[in-house]
Amino acid sequence: MRTLIYALQTAMKSIWHEKWINLLTVLSVGIGLLILSSFATVTLNVDSALKRWAKGFGMVVYLDGDLTGKAENELKRLFLQDPDIIGVKYISKEQAVRELRRTLGENASILDELDENPLPSSFELKLKRELLKPDVVKKKAEQISRLKGVEEVQYGEKWLSSLNTLSTILKTGAVFLGCAILVAIVFITYNTIKIFFYRRKDEIETLKLLGATRTFIRLPFLIEGLFIGIAGGLISAVALFGIHSMISFKGADILPAIRALMVAPPMRAYMAIVIAGAAMSLTGSFIAVGRIRY
Amino acid sequence: MIQFSGVSKYYDGDAVLKDISFTIEKGELAYITGPSGVGKTTLLKLIYCAERPDGGQIIVAGWDVGKLKQGTIPFLRRNVGIVFQDFRLLFNKTVFDNIALALRIHDMQPREIKETVNNVLKDIRLKHKEHVFPQHLSGGEQQRIVIARAMVSRPTVLLADEPTGNLDMDTSRNIMSLFREINARGTTVLIATHNNALFHGTGRRVLYLSNTHIEKEAVG
Ligand SMILES: Nc1ncnc2c1ncn2[C@@H]1O[C@H](COP(=O)(O)OP(=O)(O)O)[C@@H](O)[C@H]1O
Ligand SMILES: [Mg+2]
Repeated sequence: MRTLIYALQTAMKSIWHEKWINLLTVLSVGIGLLILSSFATVTLNVDSALKRWAKGFGMVVYLDGDLTGKAENELKRLFLQDPDIIGVKYISKEQAVRELRRTLGENASILDELDENPLPSSFELKLKRELLKPDVVKKKAEQISRLKGVEEVQYGEKWLSSLNTLSTILKTGAVFLGCAILVAIVFITYNTIKIFFYRRKDEIETLKLLGATRTFIRLPFLIEGLFIGIAGGLISAVALFGIHSMISFKGADILPAIRALMVAPPMRAYMAIVIAGAAMSLTGSFIAVGRIRY
Repeated sequence: MIQFSGVSKYYDGDAVLKDISFTIEKGELAYITGPSGVGKTTLLKLIYCAERPDGGQIIVAGWDVGKLKQGTIPFLRRNVGIVFQDFRLLFNKTVFDNIALALRIHDMQPREIKETVNNVLKDIRLKHKEHVFPQHLSGGEQQRIVIARAMVSRPTVLLADEPTGNLDMDTSRNIMSLFREINARGTTVLIATHNNALFHGTGRRVLYLSNTHIEKEAVG
């Protein structure tokens, strides 16, 4: 405990004594974390936008023309029981024609030429959001199209797969960039602490000869590294908050919907930034101090 | 308190110490002497585990020094105060903090540290220099601070390497009386020196080191 207090004092002295190089290190760590957290926020926003769009995703099941009402009801029951399907909407031949008329507008009169309704009745199905992956949807569609009385199943296959690809690219990018930046933070702190360690080499040698334990020798450096990480984390958390607020306020003048659309990084994310900075810097200083041999 | 049995030490294949055996009893004040380069410093380093023996056994205050694990070495050193030939004072710390450091390493309470260091500063008559940095002190004053740092934690053994290195006669006498005081309080003291005048007429045991072995033992 006293060792900890003394190490804190020593670390504080060193932080102040080497304030410029420390400031530089803190800023580097802070900028790294800011880039990382900004990218994560963008990914979060894109992902949530994708999810919102995906909500409207539906699958249309066209039925055989000569299906009886009883058979249609049977199918409906089947769909309602399927846990993967969260919405079932029946569209009768008549409704389909009405909708077509509305779409055609003035040209609707061509429909009058026909003596029989050519449109099939159909079901519009909504799938669970977790299932909105191209291969899963495809399998489901095939499964449904094999049912008796089903003529054809249609859904926006291309659209779904490109949304999915975009989301995957962004997430993969975030992970790679994240790892690269975290490694960079470890390295930046390692470098600074290594410099301090070399500058105090003689002193450390003396401490060893006077009977100082490894903890006694290491602790000030670890505390200093921890300080760098936390300070860098706090700086980037504040900066991220500032940038986010600015975009959502100023951006609202141009695009009023922005505030409803944008997803704010959760409180947990801000904490994660600081913790990540602290953990990486601590790791860096741990490596920098290395093994102490007597 | 210090026991060497058949100890050898080689540097790059050349023997510096070969099959050395001797014992320093608890409470003794003894000298080890010999010409420069004979291996006095090496012998002291073996005692506080800064060098490892290539053969034989060294027991210091009950520790088998040659077999100590890395993690245990600090605990041996806390029992051994060392007056280094090159002082090893920290120039970015005041006189007070240099001495206090030894106690901080021992995990002593701050209040107790203050009291103990102040007492030691009075003992070496340097109380008025407590806030000075060591580089502004004379050689004799620096030497006294090194001694103060070595003894402040009340080690069971005190080692001194050429403690009067390049000091004048008066200052040397002054320093030597400090060692006698420390010894009188029960600490075992071993002083390495090439200067015969230091032990001449003291009536203390002197080990003469010559060409890798202890040539003779006599009373100074
Ligand atoms: N680390 C070392 N590596 C190689 N040779 C050394 C080392 N330390 C001391 N020596 C040699 O060992 C011999 C004894 O040195 P030392 O113990 O310092 O003698 P003294 O203290 O009696 O003057 C000298 O010849 C010195 O050059
Ligand atoms: Mg020597």
